Amino acid sequence: MIALIGRLLVLAALGAAAAGAVVGITAGRTRSEAALRWSRRLVYAFSAALIGANLLMEYALLTKEYGVSYVAQVGGNAVPTHIAIVSLWSSLEGSILFWGLVLGAYCAAFAWRTRGRFTDVMPWTLAVIHLVAIFFAFLIAGPANPFLDTPAPIPTDGPGPNALLQNHALMIVHPPMLYLGYVGMTVPFAMGVGALIEGRLGAAWMKATRTWMLAPWGFLSVGIVLGGWWAYEVLGWGGYWAWDPVENASFLPWLTATAFLHAAMLRERRGILKGWTIVLLVATFALTILGTFMTRSGVFNSVHSFTQSAIGPTFLVFLAIVLIASTVLLALRVHLLEGEGEIRSAASRESMFVLNNLLFVAFTFTVLVGTVFPLLAEAVRGVKVSVGGPFFNRMSVPIGVAIVFLMGVGPALPWGRAEKQELVDALSVPVGVGLLLTGLGAALGVRSPWPAITLFAGGFAGAVALRDMAVPVRVLMAKGRGLGDAVASAFRRGRRRYGGQIVHLGIAIIAVAIAVSQSYQLSEETVLREGEAVTVGDWTVRYRGTHEEVTPNRRSTIATFGVERDGAEVGTLEPRMNVFRGSMQPIGTPGVRSTATQDLYLSVMNIDSEAGVVGLRAFVNPLVYWIWIGMFIIAGGCLVAAWPARSTAARQASA
Amino acid sequence: MTGERRVSWKVLAVGGALLIPLLVVLGYGFFMDPHAMPSPLVEKEAPGFDLARYDTGERIALADLAGKPVVLNFWATWCMTCRYEHPLLVQAERLYGDRVQFVGIAYQDKFEEIDRWLKKHGGSTYPTVVDVGGKTSIAYGIYAVPETFFITAEGVIQYKQTGAIDGATLERELERLL
Repeated sequence: MIALIGRLLVLAALGAAAAGAVVGITAGRTRSEAALRWSRRLVYAFSAALIGANLLMEYALLTKEYGVSYVAQVGGNAVPTHIAIVSLWSSLEGSILFWGLVLGAYCAAFAWRTRGRFTDVMPWTLAVIHLVAIFFAFLIAGPANPFLDTPAPIPTDGPGPNALLQNHALMIVHPPMLYLGYVGMTVPFAMGVGALIEGRLGAAWMKATRTWMLAPWGFLSVGIVLGGWWAYEVLGWGGYWAWDPVENASFLPWLTATAFLHAAMLRERRGILKGWTIVLLVATFALTILGTFMTRSGVFNSVHSFTQSAIGPTFLVFLAIVLIASTVLLALRVHLLEGEGEIRSAASRESMFVLNNLLFVAFTFTVLVGTVFPLLAEAVRGVKVSVGGPFFNRMSVPIGVAIVFLMGVGPALPWGRAEKQELVDALSVPVGVGLLLTGLGAALGVRSPWPAITLFAGGFAGAVALRDMAVPVRVLMAKGRGLGDAVASAFRRGRRRYGGQIVHLGIAIIAVAIAVSQSYQLSEETVLREGEAVTVGDWTVRYRGTHEEVTPNRRSTIATFGVERDGAEVGTLEPRMNVFRGSMQPIGTPGVRSTATQDLYLSVMNIDSEAGVVGLRAFVNPLVYWIWIGMFIIAGGCLVAAWPARSTAARQASA
Repeated sequence: MTGERRVSWKVLAVGGALLIPLLVVLGYGFFMDPHAMPSPLVEKEAPGFDLARYDTGERIALADLAGKPVVLNFWATWCMTCRYEHPLLVQAERLYGDRVQFVGIAYQDKFEEIDRWLKKHGGSTYPTVVDVGGKTSIAYGIYAVPETFFITAEGVIQYKQTGAIDGATLERELERLL
């Protein structure tokens, strides 16, 4: 019965999207206000149907309704409640259903916030949203339907969700963050294509598009770092990023979305690069689809990917339609979007933005080529190759460092044209900070060129960001305002700018942390008997013994290590091996002790409790903690920049 | 829609040049298996082994089996997919057991676990030996269980299956052995 209701809800969503597409296209062609109203209502209907379907699935998961195929697949009597809730996105069918929920929520929020505004571009934008919605509703109704009837006999217990999901809390939040990022790119894509069809890309529309890009961009940024954090805390190889196809899949749309956020400001300020911003929006959306394809099709060999599934070809067809239709549209309409302004000087903020966009595009191509190359090589030459970290690192380090450096130069330069004295004034202090940081690094042992250059670029960009935030406060204080008042007032007036600079600060911190942690990791691989110790860096790790811990859902073998730093006892670490019910492979959980400057990271390779022997890999990872701190800073910056501005506007109106 | 029809061939050319190869390569990916790992052992002489049965302790050596084709199945009690292929292997042994010798090799496992597992899964019609110390698994380059080797009567590896075997492959390779 539940399965049937679920199927009906999904079909209702598909019907709403299909009807919405017809009505939406009519609204675009005839400019009928009634049609636009109905198009908007059908967005709400699509959203409501999918919210209902998701709630129903949650109900089925919580009540162990094994008659529903997805529950039989991921449910289990021993699964705790909070895991049962999140098992909605633990497997393919459920995660696509969850995708539908997020899509519905974004689109409904968009339709609601833009009601009565932008009547010229909205009809086509909503039509594009409906077309995308048709695809996902079709996926849920057809190839990835989670609401099938379980064939009789209906089981009384299930295997439980993927063991990795149960193993660590980060796995609970990482996928939804990525989905919120991925799916949210649909709205700016539709806004871009809507403007393209209409042949009009006004400054106000561009500003709105940028705002709608900010939220998914923030979620995607957080999702990517959380993915790295999860890998670090769970996989036990001592790192957080391996240029795996699935990691690249999340990074690619982030690159083009970041490029868009900057190009959009150029469009806003200078009226240039209109067609280019559309290209970036299309690329970002297409890359989210490509990323999903990489994860779900089974075509790429990755540790993270779901197993081979039937939805791969469907995704590829959709990707082809998106790319071909967008290219043809662009070819037909791009002449309507001619620029109004021009760039007058190379030493200006706008030329830095153009350079920034070139670098982001180069970065995107590098990662894309590296990811697809194994497929290409096998198709053309029939050989198996894998493109590993060295290629990606060699290519991405210079580009990344250049981007971080520009992140400082851009905001330091004025719009228009910079005078020589202005340049010197703007850049001298931040350059000093960069040099100071490099010197500090050198004193602590950072002497190889790329990490040193990264320290300089990061210090420079971070200083520019901080100064950019401090200057308005200083100006207000010079007028006699108190510090708190000046901060609050400056913040209110320039929230977008503050948000942007906070994000820049977060990125600068992450860049420095990555450079140092990648270059100065210490590691030791050894076999220890009880009572024996190994030394890595300042740390000494002594193996004390092993015990077992059994819960209904898993059996853990836990190794206990005493940890000494510089000879003083500072605590214990307990890396473990977990075997989950219904799973075959043991999953290790490393033990990590984080400090502000370095992490001690212990990972057990095998535990022989009878012989009292443990195989241990011990790492000292400098500055890794700052990557996670940087993530929170970025999230904070996005909140500042994207928070609906109504309160400010209302206050100004009433003032 | 406003404006006259004007096509930008530049956009079409650049877009096509970038996108069509990408889509073709991605589509081609469906015809390949990214997890397939060709084994260098195929068409080479099978590495010898001499291991004890988990139940009787009787030793089984590859050299003693010469003259009869061998199906060598590396498996483990902690392996999920081994459960799916176990009934297939038992059934195949019933059909081909007079002409082909089936041998199971338990990989990283314990004697009592093997006993319990086999009893739970309907027993076995062919012997299982235990790879104590894991030397045989290393010699055969075992990456993950299950893996199944088809060895001809002359002692040459004819085919290697990575992962659980399916009925069609099993039958095809058994027919090739004979």
